[in-house]
Amino acid sequence: MKIRIDHIAKIEGHASFTADIIRGDVKGARIKIEDGARLFEGILRGRKDEELPEIVSRICGVCPVVHNLTAHKALEKAYGIQLDETSIILRKLMMLGQLINSHALHLFFFSLADFFGYKSDLQLINAYPEKTHDAVKIRDIGNRIVEAIGGRSVHPVTPVLGGFRKAPDSAKLKELLTDCKKIMPLVLRLGDLFNQLKYPAFHRETTFVSLTNSEEYAVYGGKVKAGKLIFGPKEFLSLVKEFQGPDMVAKRTKFAGNTYMVGALARLHNNFEKLNPEAKKLLVKSGLEFPCYNPFYNILAQAIELLHCFEESITLLELLTIGEVKISEPKIENRTGEGIDAIEAPRGTLFYDVKVKDGIIRDLNIVTPTVQNIANLEADLEEFEHIEGFKGLKKEERIDRIKMLIRAYDPCVTCSVH
Amino acid sequence: MDKKPTVAILSLTCCEGCQVAIFDLGERFLEFLTKVNIGDFRLAEELPDVKKYDIAIVEGTAITKEQLRRLKIVRKKSKILIALGACACVGGPQEIKDYRGNKNQLIRIVYPNVRGIDNPNIKSVKELVKVDFEIPGCPINKEEFFRIINELIAGKKPIIEQKPVCEECIRKNKMCFLLLGKPCLGAITLAGCGAICPANNFPCDGCRGPRKGIKLEAMKRALKFKAHMRDDEIEMVMERFGEKNEYIKASKKI
Repeated sequence: MKIRIDHIAKIEGHASFTADIIRGDVKGARIKIEDGARLFEGILRGRKDEELPEIVSRICGVCPVVHNLTAHKALEKAYGIQLDETSIILRKLMMLGQLINSHALHLFFFSLADFFGYKSDLQLINAYPEKTHDAVKIRDIGNRIVEAIGGRSVHPVTPVLGGFRKAPDSAKLKELLTDCKKIMPLVLRLGDLFNQLKYPAFHRETTFVSLTNSEEYAVYGGKVKAGKLIFGPKEFLSLVKEFQGPDMVAKRTKFAGNTYMVGALARLHNNFEKLNPEAKKLLVKSGLEFPCYNPFYNILAQAIELLHCFEESITLLELLTIGEVKISEPKIENRTGEGIDAIEAPRGTLFYDVKVKDGIIRDLNIVTPTVQNIANLEADLEEFEHIEGFKGLKKEERIDRIKMLIRAYDPCVTCSVH
Repeated sequence: MDKKPTVAILSLTCCEGCQVAIFDLGERFLEFLTKVNIGDFRLAEELPDVKKYDIAIVEGTAITKEQLRRLKIVRKKSKILIALGACACVGGPQEIKDYRGNKNQLIRIVYPNVRGIDNPNIKSVKELVKVDFEIPGCPINKEEFFRIINELIAGKKPIIEQKPVCEECIRKNKMCFLLLGKPCLGAITLAGCGAICPANNFPCDGCRGPRKGIKLEAMKRALKFKAHMRDDEIEMVMERFGEKNEYIKASKKI
């Protein structure tokens, strides 16, 4: 029997799924990417370094901040530029804003309907009007944080090599701080909602990969933790093999020959001790124990992170609103080198490797979270008949369950085709 | 339109940031959803498709053969087709490859295995099917989108005024980027964004494409002598959103 799902809805970008079931066993589970090749890694060769962050933002409209900032970080590493403390705080806040708006979108508008069997968010909105308004308000805070600092929520414009072009308006930051505190009870409620959902049982062991940082729950930077091992971003990337077969417009990766998972569940797994208090409380309440090899819990992990990001935003906004925010834009002497760096995008670790000579890009490699996750997702899908209760389901319900697993990964197809 | 209009929001290959910008309308978008029937909106539903759309909003460019086929079907089904954002209106960054020499060599930089990967020349939506309205920008200005879609639903004919970004720019006169020697395309770019980039100390990069009747040669001279750019640098700036061919067309329509 062949299973085919055309145009999986409620994910970012276009993909379909095919697999064969031979004597009850799944064979050849494959995510087929339906987006066209845009060749970002090719078109940037020969262009100026300062164009890199601007153009790569356009890889993804859901997570432009992370492409913009990782491109900046890689260039700054290549040139040996150090950022001042204020710039780092501003960038961290942009990251938190990005995580908040992306997680809120995925949690409420992409994932939640699956748990109630709704085929459209309109049904969800009608059934839960109050919760919908909560989700919209929460997401809006994320947008406003990015907008206040980045100048625009989709494709921000203020970050520059070594700092920022423009300081955020202090009054806007104060307003955001007040609103973050005001919205916090809504985030707690949303966290409880996701904690009460019933996640289908499923188990397949994998390696969880994320950044890790002794100072904090790693979002903006750190070392790479893969299972029990810790690497620098450059060292880790040298152990990752990208591969691509015919008809594959998105590459796949393996680490030391195996598939691995990045994203909220991986981050939580590697760094849960660093969560802020309310997020930690929700984690304890959820009873989630690590290792947890059930990708459906990536959804709950995002809800826990959403809470963490709000708490963290409040802390950083409090720091920024003590005095005036002063920004700097350093003079850059050297514009030759290679830089490899990483960030925690909403969907997992994002790597940039850039080689520059006299300010002109010579080579660029981008490894996105979804490129890293697809092979792991396909390996999970090879065992989808082991999803709890799968055998008793009708064909339509089985397809719904498969889609639910795919959506739990929050794949960003757009990012995967760069 | 008397009864609730059927609206479809669709995307071809792009970053989908224009759909995100629509989502970013937040509460206003929720209210908008109550005023229309949704024909197709893959980002929020997976119900069976409907036969006809009153308004189809299309973002992105058709790169794969399947997307081209789908675009043609959507055109047939729709009374009004709106091209949304820079990719749909002028080609988007994916069109850069068409200006950079051999695209078949370029694809080999990215993919070791190019079999089965479509690599056509990039065309904006209006080069492939008839377009009734264009909402430009990378991303779109959500406020402008909201005005236009509401006017269309009310049966009015929306207009984007043909004026340069400079007219909306807070830096005009003394703080003008071009006069300060920065490569700003505000003078030839269609306004409507509120000059959001220059307001954030970022020169206009022309994402909304040209307004009608631009003086392209004068712009190039200004970039050369004010911003001290070489000809090849000027070309590169003008192709960032795939709008270079549009500049040439727009400069002829005086």
